[in-house]
Amino acid sequence: MAADEANADILELPSSGRARRWLRVLLAGPVVLAAACFAVVGGALSLPAGSAGVNNLVLPVVLFPLLWAVLFLYACLDRRLARAWLVVGALLGINVLIFAWHWTGAS
Amino acid sequence: MIWLSRDTTKTLLAVHGWSGILLGLLLYAVICTGVAAVFATEINNWASPLTRDATISLPAGVDRAVRDLAGQVDPQYHEEVATWRGAGGRLIVFFHRHMQDPEGRLNEYGVQFELHPETHEVLARREGWYDDIAAQSRPEGVAAFLVDLHVRLHIPEPWGLLVTGILGMAMMIAALTGLFAHRHLLKEMFTLRLAREALLRRRDLHVVAGTWNLPFAFILAFTGSFFSFATTLGLPLVAKATFGGNEEALIETLYGAPREEKAEPAPLADLDAMIADAAARSGITSHFIGIERYGRADATVWVYQPLPENELVYTSHLYDGTTGEYLTERPPLGQHPSLGASLVGLMYPLHFGNFAGIASKAAWVGLGFAGAYVTLTGLLLWTQRRIDQRAWQRMARLVHYVGYGLPLALACAPHAHFLFQDSTLSSGTLQGFAFIGAAAVAAIVSLACDELRRLRRILLTATAVAVLALPFTRFAGGGPGWFEAWSSGLPGVAGVDITLLLVGASTLWLARRRVTATHAASLRPSLEARTGSA
Repeated sequence: MAADEANADILELPSSGRARRWLRVLLAGPVVLAAACFAVVGGALSLPAGSAGVNNLVLPVVLFPLLWAVLFLYACLDRRLARAWLVVGALLGINVLIFAWHWTGAS
Repeated sequence: MIWLSRDTTKTLLAVHGWSGILLGLLLYAVICTGVAAVFATEINNWASPLTRDATISLPAGVDRAVRDLAGQVDPQYHEEVATWRGAGGRLIVFFHRHMQDPEGRLNEYGVQFELHPETHEVLARREGWYDDIAAQSRPEGVAAFLVDLHVRLHIPEPWGLLVTGILGMAMMIAALTGLFAHRHLLKEMFTLRLAREALLRRRDLHVVAGTWNLPFAFILAFTGSFFSFATTLGLPLVAKATFGGNEEALIETLYGAPREEKAEPAPLADLDAMIADAAARSGITSHFIGIERYGRADATVWVYQPLPENELVYTSHLYDGTTGEYLTERPPLGQHPSLGASLVGLMYPLHFGNFAGIASKAAWVGLGFAGAYVTLTGLLLWTQRRIDQRAWQRMARLVHYVGYGLPLALACAPHAHFLFQDSTLSSGTLQGFAFIGAAAVAAIVSLACDELRRLRRILLTATAVAVLALPFTRFAGGGPGWFEAWSSGLPGVAGVDITLLLVGASTLWLARRRVTATHAASLRPSLEARTGSA
């Protein structure tokens, strides 16, 4: 509990139960969905295509439901809300960057 | 024992329960219809029997049939021809082209013929978008209604698939949290305290069925979510990222680009010879043929086969359409075998359970039934523990309504298919009316009935009657009787009838079985609360 509050202070997360609950819902809901969707995009652009040239197109689509479920559970279970935001945010950020880099590079 | 902190276990249990309670009722509908849909082919062969050779393998003489029909359709629909076996062994030939439909989706428009597989007599001819043609097909009606309910809950695309995808996610989350939340998993797999009070006994049954069923529930949920999300979310995202949103380009990469264009006319090589060649190569008769650019010099023929023995990933054989020359064997995706193609190929047998014929299908039905049981008992246990609260009493009533009313509505739907054979309405529409009608009656009964125990008995009895009546309605609708079916070489008809009679009798026994005093007591607070508040 003390660690939670410390985390909240460091990243300026609200320490009231109600606000934290909504932050948790926001993370486990739309943010996790966005992270899973961008992981598909990032995976398609960064995974090796393999000799058949389809692995990068297929693997992210196959793994999408599993990734979404695991991220959702993680967002619900990590006692340190700030850390959960950091992990999911980092995954989302990396894949957004891959997409942006590819997009600007292509244009 | 899986060690987790008390707080984590508490959170896991909360996620497990709420994921089930929020989406459990819809999930229950998807699982129930999925259990029946495993036997879609057998259901169609029972509902619309035609020939003793009612297999999925293509019959002899496909070449002659396709050639004869090609002359009867506008050449624009020669862009692609698909051939397979339908209900009762009917031979289906679909000449079509790919166009954008009114909703802006890439779809197939053309002419579909339904033929007698032995005489090649044209039984039906339909023209239009593929979805509309499929909806008009009466022989496939009974199974199509179940499959559509299972796949998209009859909600228009893409929303229906998204909903069932989310339901698959909920099932996956419930399975994962169930695995970790039960700290003494191994012990609980073998704990069945039958002599204890009803609530504890039913909790044990839920946990035992759930834990033994966990791997299967996870596989079904994962593969089901994949099928729902692949076309609605996954592939559009990948197309956006890699091909600037051009889904056609993505599909060409996945399935292979068409051969070099040669628009001059050229006769098609012998299809029967290609089918025989593919069978000689893999030892299995083909069940689907696709012809690209029929009647042109660049025609290509794809010959698909069911899963070979000891294999879990299907392949197809590719032929030059004008010379009949064998070109190559293709994995499900791409030109060469790959991890991605193998994973996609695995999704089919793992979800449909069709890798070892009737035996694996029966196992999938049993495991699916256990999944439905776990979902329903989970909902009943969750609501019963909170039965002293008014909101949960309403939820308990809703769970009883859906839990026992859904099988009733599902059993009523095929009656409309059989009884209104000459109706101008499609089989799906007729069954939809019957389904909604039965659901509405069940809703009225659920609201009117004071005791949940009584409600359960009424709905189960009605379900039993509806199931027991199905063989008679089928016969009244013009289907063959047992003697006629047997003498025509259609033993499957009587087989399904007998199965239905056994299922109906078991349901009746379940409905009439006396509920133990403790169980009854746990269901009574609902009545007491109602009368108390009145």
